[in-house]
Amino acid sequence: MSDIKINRRDFIKLTVAGVTVLAGSQIFRRAQALETLTSNGRQWAMVIDQSKCTGCDYCTLACRAHNDIPPEISWNVVSKTGTVGAQDVYTPRPCMQCAHAPCVDVCPVRASSYRPDGIVKMDYDRCIGCRYCEIACPYGARSFNWKQFDGPNPSVPEWGQPEVSRRPRGVVEKCSFCYQRIDRGLALGLTPGIDEDATPACAVVCPVGARQFGDLNDPESNVSKLLHGRTSYRLREDLGTSPRVYYLSATEEPQS
Amino acid sequence: MKIKLPKFTPWMAWIGGLVVVIAAGVAAGLMVFWKGLSLTNLTDMVPWGLWITIDLSSIAMSAGAFSLCAVVYLLGLKRYQAVARTATFIGLIGYTMAVLTLLLDIGRPDRFWHAMIYWNKHSLLWEVTMCVTLYLAVLALEAMPIFAGFEWLHSHWPKLAEKMSRVHHYAPYLAIAGLALSMLHQSSLGALYGVLKARPLWYRPDISVLFIISAIAGGMALTVFASMLSARLTRHANVENSILDRVSFIIGWVLVVYLYFRFWDVLSMTYTYEPGRTEGLRLLTSGPLSFNFWISEILLGAVVPIILLLNKRTRALPLWRMLAMALVVGGVVAYRWDTNLSGLLIILSYLPGEPTVAYTAYRPSLTELLTGAGIVSYGLLAFSLGVRYLKVVDHNLAKAHAEEPKVVEAIPVTGD
Repeated sequence: MSDIKINRRDFIKLTVAGVTVLAGSQIFRRAQALETLTSNGRQWAMVIDQSKCTGCDYCTLACRAHNDIPPEISWNVVSKTGTVGAQDVYTPRPCMQCAHAPCVDVCPVRASSYRPDGIVKMDYDRCIGCRYCEIACPYGARSFNWKQFDGPNPSVPEWGQPEVSRRPRGVVEKCSFCYQRIDRGLALGLTPGIDEDATPACAVVCPVGARQFGDLNDPESNVSKLLHGRTSYRLREDLGTSPRVYYLSATEEPQS
Repeated sequence: MKIKLPKFTPWMAWIGGLVVVIAAGVAAGLMVFWKGLSLTNLTDMVPWGLWITIDLSSIAMSAGAFSLCAVVYLLGLKRYQAVARTATFIGLIGYTMAVLTLLLDIGRPDRFWHAMIYWNKHSLLWEVTMCVTLYLAVLALEAMPIFAGFEWLHSHWPKLAEKMSRVHHYAPYLAIAGLALSMLHQSSLGALYGVLKARPLWYRPDISVLFIISAIAGGMALTVFASMLSARLTRHANVENSILDRVSFIIGWVLVVYLYFRFWDVLSMTYTYEPGRTEGLRLLTSGPLSFNFWISEILLGAVVPIILLLNKRTRALPLWRMLAMALVVGGVVAYRWDTNLSGLLIILSYLPGEPTVAYTAYRPSLTELLTGAGIVSYGLLAFSLGVRYLKVVDHNLAKAHAEEPKVVEAIPVTGD
């Protein structure tokens, strides 16, 4: 009988201990998730003002140079999408850095993942090159390296110097919001979106200032102010991907 | 002195021909590993093509293994055991074909093992990879007793052969594992397409259901076809007609279920215009894929075999039954090809305003065709060797096994 009593007591003890551990781990995970969400409060976003964009394609070229991209691949694509008055309207398309990214969901090896600051990051050492993410992306933002990129980059040095290593043959690549510039800039005490060295290359090179970059959680950032002041839209919002690239529609008169 | 050459037989011609195609496929495959996927006609618009079709088809054709093993070991219908044995062997070949094709298709074959280490539980492709790997192991175990029957093994490693044949005791457990894993990934291969919201034609819940039903029909059909053809061509194979007749009858009804689901699946998509989906459906029903859809998939792949298999008179005639089986197999392959391409050839614009649709095209390159032919020939070679040396199509063997216990019981009687 006493054996059973001890066993029962042990059982209760074990149960209590188990529940405590489980609850503790859950609280820990919640805390981690909260930290991931806030990431020191920063959530990077880009605002593209179509009333300013002239379709010069400098953004694409600067992107190719800074990220060492072969000429067959574009992380950024500029398309002509109609006219307003006498003015042509362009829609530049970097990676949308979706908050609910299909590419992250479908990757069989977690090569695509969310950074705490919201950027969808590619791990080129992990990608197996199955191309499922390419098929899942509604924005065509992903490109496969069908062959090895050898030789000089035609966009270098005219449009900038490479800041990241070339991707090997056989992996999928995409726009990264130049997080190498953001991370390095933050380490140097700079502010992404304000200081050029901490801002994506496409936003820096834009001759008309059509691309603004900054922290959505900072009400004083360029992007927050623009989004408060004007009506914006995002591409294929109906899909529920929640892109972090916002567009300001073209109007008859360019707005400041 | 005159060297006596072995007599040239059709068997040798067949094996020789297959070896030549395999050699060409291996050469092309090595080129792919060396030069990369730029040797294919795949693009960023159509990143999946012929290889993914071979991959999906060979897995579908292997579905006879799990369905027939479930029938034998879980439903307890022991008389189908010999057919299940053939299906298991075909399954093992089919999954190795799929793995070979996948190795070619991924950009970094050296990282094939990443899915085992870096789990993404949200990814259907991860789930498929895990299931295929585990099921390949199940199939290898299920096929163990078949390999134990190899005469050379018996004479050289009798103890090993004995151990291998004892794996058969676990057949019911393996059948449960095989059923669970197959139910998962056979449907997930369809869901792989079905969960992509970016592709309106694919984005529907029933592709997964259609995939598993068509796989069951196709897998069993290939098993029956291969068994009957082997029995006609070689004395190493023999079949029990009444058993194959029953399996064929079942296939006929599975096809009816498949056609029923497919009918509502397609019909429901014809109402109202939806960008991307409507164009994709048009591609199937009146565009470049329409012959494949109406003739290969629906008419020859389902309607004709249903008539041939559910009609007792045509089902009883071996040639008609074999024709029906070949048509089912062709129909399932056509369905996989059409599913993949109909979604990829339509490019739905992400730009603001009315969503516009663009079309692209795909035709496999010589490298893709050669490697594909090599992989299919490998499957044919493996099956042919299996028929000859492992007796994978031998319905008498099972009968002899079934009679064994009676013989054991008879011993004390004669002792008296």
